[in-house]
Amino acid sequence: MSSILFIMLKSPYEYSSLDHLAAIGGDERTGVILFEDAVCFAVDKNKGQELLDVTDKVYVMRDDFAARGFSSISSRFILIDYPTAVDLIMEQYDQTITV
Amino acid sequence: MTRTLTIHIRSGTMMNMDPNVMIKLAQAATDKGYKVNVFGYGEGVMAIKEGQDPRRFPNVGKAMDELAKQGVTFVVCETCCTARGIRRGEEIKTAKIGSLTNDLSRFVAESDRMVTLAR
Repeated sequence: MSSILFIMLKSPYEYSSLDHLAAIGGDERTGVILFEDAVCFAVDKNKGQELLDVTDKVYVMRDDFAARGFSSISSRFILIDYPTAVDLIMEQYDQTITV
Repeated sequence: MTRTLTIHIRSGTMMNMDPNVMIKLAQAATDKGYKVNVFGYGEGVMAIKEGQDPRRFPNVGKAMDELAKQGVTFVVCETCCTARGIRRGEEIKTAKIGSLTNDLSRFVAESDRMVTLAR
């Protein structure tokens, strides 16, 4: 069984094709890293839940989250820094797919 | 053997923050001892233009120069450069104007992971 790490850059108001993640991910272990405006998934209750429904773990870039003025985050999301993102990309998942 | 990350960037330096994500990811991966290649395609080639002088954005060219001194390889698509009027000699000295066939294909072959930053 392989694993897929999705990279998301767009806000939930630009990107609405979460069914792609479910279709590509299938039964694989999946995770998502939210960069830039994609961090808004973590503060929109409905959009965040939709994302959590189609992947196993959601990681949020701390820099981008803070840069947009956000400070509190649900425990269902994992705040990470760049060294951790590198660990996820290089060691924890078999491949990355940008959506 | 050193593991390799290739970052494929398709966003321009003044379009959005993708080039800054590229810089931060490349720096973090280099700090952890990984080999890093960056290939610029489409608007992503603008990152290698020498003389960038943004007033309100990070200077991506300067950051790339610093990363190149730490071992990061920067190559961009020649056809994309030509289409945008960027000629050989106008690139930062630590970057190379190359090609999909000679460079991106080699990067893909020798990389353990690849990240695409595109819209």
